[in-house]
Amino acid sequence: MDESWVQTLQAAPDIWAVFLQARRRDAHVYVGDVHASDAEMALLLAKENYARRDPCVSLWVVPARDIRATSGDAAEMFAPVTDKSYRFGGSYRQQQRVYRGGYQTAAADGDETR
Amino acid sequence: MAVNPPVPDDPERLAQFNVRIAGGDQIEAGEWLPGQYRFEAQRLIQMHANSEIMGALPEREWIPRAPTLARKMALTAKVQDEVGHGMLLYRVAETLGRPREEMYAELVEGRARFHNVFHYPAETWADVAIIQVFVDGAAMQTQGALRSCSYAPYSRVLKRICYEEDFHIQLGLDVWRALAEGTPAQRAMLQDALNRWWTPIIHFFGMPDKVSPHTETMLAWRLKVKSNEELRQQFLRRFVPIILEYGLIVPDPGLRWVEAEQRYVYTEPDWEELKRVGRNGGPKSAERLALRQSFYRQHAWIREALSRWTPIAA
Amino acid sequence: MSAPAVAIADPAVRAAFREWLLRVADDELTIGHRHSEWTGVGPDIESDVAMSSIAQEELGHARLFYEQVAGDDPGGADRLAYGRAPDDYRNAVLLELPNQGWEFSIIRLALYEAYEGLRLGLLARCGQEPVAGLAATLGREERYHGLFASTWLERLAGAPHGDAGGTAGPRAKVQAALDAAWPYALGFFETTEADEVLLGAGVLTQPAAQQRESWEAAVRPLLARCHLTVPVAAPRDGGRRGLHTADLTQLHREMTEVWRSDPEARW
Repeated sequence: MDESWVQTLQAAPDIWAVFLQARRRDAHVYVGDVHASDAEMALLLAKENYARRDPCVSLWVVPARDIRATSGDAAEMFAPVTDKSYRFGGSYRQQQRVYRGGYQTAAADGDETR
Repeated sequence: MAVNPPVPDDPERLAQFNVRIAGGDQIEAGEWLPGQYRFEAQRLIQMHANSEIMGALPEREWIPRAPTLARKMALTAKVQDEVGHGMLLYRVAETLGRPREEMYAELVEGRARFHNVFHYPAETWADVAIIQVFVDGAAMQTQGALRSCSYAPYSRVLKRICYEEDFHIQLGLDVWRALAEGTPAQRAMLQDALNRWWTPIIHFFGMPDKVSPHTETMLAWRLKVKSNEELRQQFLRRFVPIILEYGLIVPDPGLRWVEAEQRYVYTEPDWEELKRVGRNGGPKSAERLALRQSFYRQHAWIREALSRWTPIAA
Repeated sequence: MSAPAVAIADPAVRAAFREWLLRVADDELTIGHRHSEWTGVGPDIESDVAMSSIAQEELGHARLFYEQVAGDDPGGADRLAYGRAPDDYRNAVLLELPNQGWEFSIIRLALYEAYEGLRLGLLARCGQEPVAGLAATLGREERYHGLFASTWLERLAGAPHGDAGGTAGPRAKVQAALDAAWPYALGFFETTEADEVLLGAGVLTQPAAQQRESWEAAVRPLLARCHLTVPVAAPRDGGRRGLHTADLTQLHREMTEVWRSDPEARW
């Protein structure tokens, strides 16, 4: 029997996970938790408990007990086992040398997509 | 959740766990832990959290009396940080299996421990400078070392705490400087405060470690990273020069640097006092626990009201 | 919006404006002092931290306004904050009262923040720089203070508490705090000769009676939402004229204890 690879954080119902967005262009990042009676109070408290010094433009909160996580031993599934170099640019460098002229022209014409 | 005596651990899991720690690995919340590791880590972190919460009490007495607007704001911010550290640390202790409410109730009822230094009075404004430089400085030695402890949630929180404590010491040095370079009365107040705090600060690091299976286990599991004496010596090396630089007197006349041994020798403090204080028998222990209890009871209706509150459906 | 043609060269207007600024600074200092007393002993750790930030911000605002009064004098703000006698302070009496429980502090915060929001608006239109610009930016911080007050008030007194617990229940406790605070809150709108002078010069653009109306329009909906009854009471004032309570004497004595030990020293 395969043990479950999904687990909870085993958090009490009054614990809220806080995600902070430092600047408009940034992703929201997990910074810690607060104890609070509800979401609005959690946001209110998160501002002063996590953004007193660090720049912040936005906060998210979610009940910590709703978070689902991969289990510790599932980590070994994430580690690369077989050759995945086809996902990375390095293996294509040889071919790029052959096509370099054409590639550069395309870039100069502004055809290259960002 | 005191695991005492601990439930016997699965020997294979225990062996694997020990191998991981020995290899420098860190353990995350939710992973399997040996019973004794869980017990020791939880107790250590809870005591740290308790100390932040109790540590707020001596200094907050001076917020109403801070002598300038700038000092008033800075001291409020500093004590706020300590309370915030308590919040972060209780959360880490919770991941080891005890709800915050239970740990907090235990503290206010006098059944839990907090660091010796917070059992002493803050008698003058100069005590604020001593606490911020030397008490926080002492705590920094331990906290800094434990950043490499094996319990990852604690290690992460300690990094944040050390970052903020650095600001506290800078603030403390600013107050220290103003007093040390001030009027004769200010210098005298500062020296007097230093004299009164010296022994508790030396005590803070604990007695020199006995060679014992317990100490060996704590070190092997990286719940203890440096020995008590190493940390005390580290503290003395960093902070005695500050006293001398400002022409104040080190309160221990027996303290001197021994070049050949590259360490300070100092007058052996009375360890019985430390034991007494550790059992909540310090000069301010009862009063401070009573203050905490009083507010805790006063706020019971608020906790109750919040627990029953649900928003009206939008 | 055109700035009123104020002759601040006019000593009467200048003195009146100075008095207005001291009211603001003294209000912020006394309420900041009282809020700061919650640091370390709040009802829960996270709210303790949040209230402490509010305290620091009020003290910071006090300093800004004292600096406006003191001008270029570097120690001037502290001397105004610490060096005057209690009957020279111009704060509303509500703000010097002790923290009579968390619910009282929350009620006081709610009543004061609504007033402060309106006052900052009036200061932003006073035509005097840099005060007007300053007032416009401070509103951004004050918004959080108002949210903290209303969020807490709703959770202490709002549904579903109903009348659970009767006279000892949460809503009853909050009602008692409102009953105690309201008459003193009316003291925000106490006037002196300075108000006439400022109105005449166009520096102040709303008389006290209308300020009070605007303020009630702001707080009554919040209180109603929390099922609280606004008491009918006469104002308990005097603060704007320097008539204070023993509580200010206590606050002042404690606040200035170290400073008074040597007012010339650098701390």
